[in-house]
Amino acid sequence: MTKELEHSFVTQLEENQNIVHKICRLYTNDSDSHNDLFQEITIQLWRAFPKFRGDSKFSTWMYRVALNTAITLYRKSKRSIKTQDFEGVSFKITAETYDDTVEEQLKLMYNAVKNLNDIDKALVFLYLEDKNYKEISQTLGITEVNARVKMNRIKEKLRTILNP
Amino acid sequence: MDELELLKKQWQEREQDLPKLSYQEIYSMLLKKSSSIVKWIFFISIAEIALWTILAFLVPESSKEINNGIGLKTTFLIVNIVNYAVFAVFIFLFYKNYRTIKVTDSIKGLMGNILRTRRTVKYFVIYNVGAAILLLIGVNLYYYTKKEKLYVLMQENFEGYAAIPPEKFTSVFFLSQVIGGVIMIGLLLIFYRLIYGILLRRLKRNYKELKKIEV
Repeated sequence: MTKELEHSFVTQLEENQNIVHKICRLYTNDSDSHNDLFQEITIQLWRAFPKFRGDSKFSTWMYRVALNTAITLYRKSKRSIKTQDFEGVSFKITAETYDDTVEEQLKLMYNAVKNLNDIDKALVFLYLEDKNYKEISQTLGITEVNARVKMNRIKEKLRTILNP
Repeated sequence: MDELELLKKQWQEREQDLPKLSYQEIYSMLLKKSSSIVKWIFFISIAEIALWTILAFLVPESSKEINNGIGLKTTFLIVNIVNYAVFAVFIFLFYKNYRTIKVTDSIKGLMGNILRTRRTVKYFVIYNVGAAILLLIGVNLYYYTKKEKLYVLMQENFEGYAAIPPEKFTSVFFLSQVIGGVIMIGLLLIFYRLIYGILLRRLKRNYKELKKIEV
């Protein structure tokens, strides 16, 4: 029984691991912390897995648990993560596709997103993942209206950061 | 918000840059539960030393009088000091095991650590039970050599003993010591079997699973 559960869990996590990696990139600044967070999320997912009944998609459930873990950990060690080091993040943009200004803009934007607080970051993350407001609100446990309002405020915030 | 849309586009394009973990790598992460088991072993050993210390205060005054009167005061003091020193060493070892298991990331290393932790716990239990048995035998042998003085002291401190005639005292006293000792050792064994037994079984299970991945 446990074996089957483990196998089904690991297989599904392996298929959907990109989600966790993206969250790790957004919430950490170096590969060590990235791996730590990945592991922590894996353990939390595994603990919560028996309660996952399959009434939502595995990936949807994963977004929720993984973001919660990242947000909780982020709160616990706020100071260590707050120090931003964009160069340390392997956010590669290929030079052939983008000219310098675009690349520069993207860097600034990404940096601004990384500087957002934990909850806002989760919202932007889901937005970047191309989730609609209904999905965003369900994942974060807020109302759809609230999600829209928050997202507008975040956009406003980002605009001020980028064009002071 | 052009930049955000740009980032979104870029975000979805660069998925192939993300690290890719294999089934085995993810699976071995689940086995990190070993580290929390080892953490519990460490905490329980600390709780245990606290428990014995509290129990030591509960020994009735009359028992202490007998041991002091018969000349065992210094012996017990030394036994106590040695015992606490050994406990401190074990607590340190448990802590060290916990630290190493926490930072180990290879399956082979983790397996070695699990084996080491299990061994440490085994020695800890052997020491505790062994020391209790030796102490029990030693103290009673000493009592036996001084049984006349013991009889006098027992009559002074425990009213019930005055009713026992001197010629029967030796058999009654040592028989009750043997029965009491066996019960105590039995309880100690059950106590360890319950607490550490469960944790050790879990560690063993993790170890077996790790072994399966390894081959």
